[in-house]
Amino acid sequence: MKPENQLQRPDALRIIHEAFPDQPVVVTLGGTVREMIATCGRRSNHLYILDSMGLVVPIALGLALGFDNDPSVERVVVVEGDGSLLMGFSVLSTIGLMRPKKLIVIVLDNGVYLTTGGQPSAAGSTDFVAAARACGMAGQLAEAPESLKASLVAGRTGDGPLLIRVPVGTVSPSTNFFLEDPVVLCEDFRRWLNCHRQGRPFSSQG
Amino acid sequence: MATLSNEGTDERSQALIAGIEAIQPKYILELPSSNLKAIIQHFLEAPGVTTFPVPREEEGVGILAGLVLAGQRATMIIQDNGIGNMLTAIATFPQAYHIPMLIVVSRRGGLGDYNSMIHNISEHVEKLLNAANLRYFQLDGRSPIELWASTVVRAYEFAQITHRPIILLVNLMGG
Repeated sequence: MKPENQLQRPDALRIIHEAFPDQPVVVTLGGTVREMIATCGRRSNHLYILDSMGLVVPIALGLALGFDNDPSVERVVVVEGDGSLLMGFSVLSTIGLMRPKKLIVIVLDNGVYLTTGGQPSAAGSTDFVAAARACGMAGQLAEAPESLKASLVAGRTGDGPLLIRVPVGTVSPSTNFFLEDPVVLCEDFRRWLNCHRQGRPFSSQG
Repeated sequence: MATLSNEGTDERSQALIAGIEAIQPKYILELPSSNLKAIIQHFLEAPGVTTFPVPREEEGVGILAGLVLAGQRATMIIQDNGIGNMLTAIATFPQAYHIPMLIVVSRRGGLGDYNSMIHNISEHVEKLLNAANLRYFQLDGRSPIELWASTVVRAYEFAQITHRPIILLVNLMGG
C-alpha cells in the first residue's frame, strides 16, 4: 500500500467508535487515548487506560468473561497498540484458553513506539494474525477503511474471540496531555455500564 | 540434612479453601505452585466456579480487574515470588482507578522451605508491599487456625469497603 493511502490512527479510531458507540471499549495508553478523545470526544463507554502498558487486553478479557452471559452487553472491544500487546503477549494464549465469545481485540499496528519518539517495536517481524489463530482466536487483517468497517460489522454479529490487525501510519495530530483523575475515568465507565445494563440513558448518577 | 516440616499444611489449606469458598467467587485465577496444589485442585474440581491459570501475575491483575468491573466476584491465588512481577500493574491500574480486589499470596523462602534461592525475593515481600503502599494482612503460625477462613472473608470485604487491592499473605509451609 502506498504511504499516502495508508490508514492513520485517528481515522481508525473514528471508524471503531462509530461501529461501537454503545458497547464497552477499552482504549490503550497515552497517545492513543489522547487521539481518541481529540477525534471522537470523551465517551463514558470508553475505559481509558492511561499507563498500564501490557495490561489493556487482559482488562478487556476480564470484562468479556464477566459479561459472557449478560445479554445487555453485545461485545467488549479493546483498542490496543503493537507495543503494548507485545508487552503482554501471553494474553493471547489465555484468550484462546477461555474463548470469550464477545471479545474483539483491535491492534493498531504502526510498528513503533510512537508516543515515546517512534522507536521500532518487534511488530515488523511478528505476524499478529497468525499468532492469534495459533492461540485459538479468529484473526483478520484490515488494511483499508472499508475492510476495517467490514471486519467490525462481522465481528459484531459473529462469535469471537476475534483479533483484527490494522496497519496504521505514524501521522499523529498534536494533542494536549490528558490529566483526568483515573478514579473519575473509572467511575464514569462504571456508571455508563450500570445504565447500559439496565437499559437506561447514561446518567452521571449511574 | 534436617527433615523439612510441613506440619499443619493440610489444616491451613483446608481453612484457606473454606475462606475462599465463603466469598463465593465465580472466577478464580491461579498461578500454580507446589504449596497451592491442594487448594487449586479443589477449585478446579469445584462446581459453580471457573478456575483458570494465568501465565504471569500482572496479566492476572488485568483480568481480575476486568472481572470486577463487570460485577463478578473473583480472586487470584499466587505465590509471593511473583509479587515483583505485578507491582507496576497493580499500582497503575487497580490502585490508581480504585478497583477492589483480593489477591491471596502464599509465602515462600522461610523456615521449612526447600529452595536455596527463593528467599532472595520472598523474604523481602513485606518491604516491597510497604514501598508500593499496598495494604496486606498475614496468616501464619501465629494466627489461630479458627480465624483463617473468616480473615479471608474480612480481607475480601475490606477491599470492597476501601476500594483498593488487598493482599492476603498466607504461610502454608508451617512457618
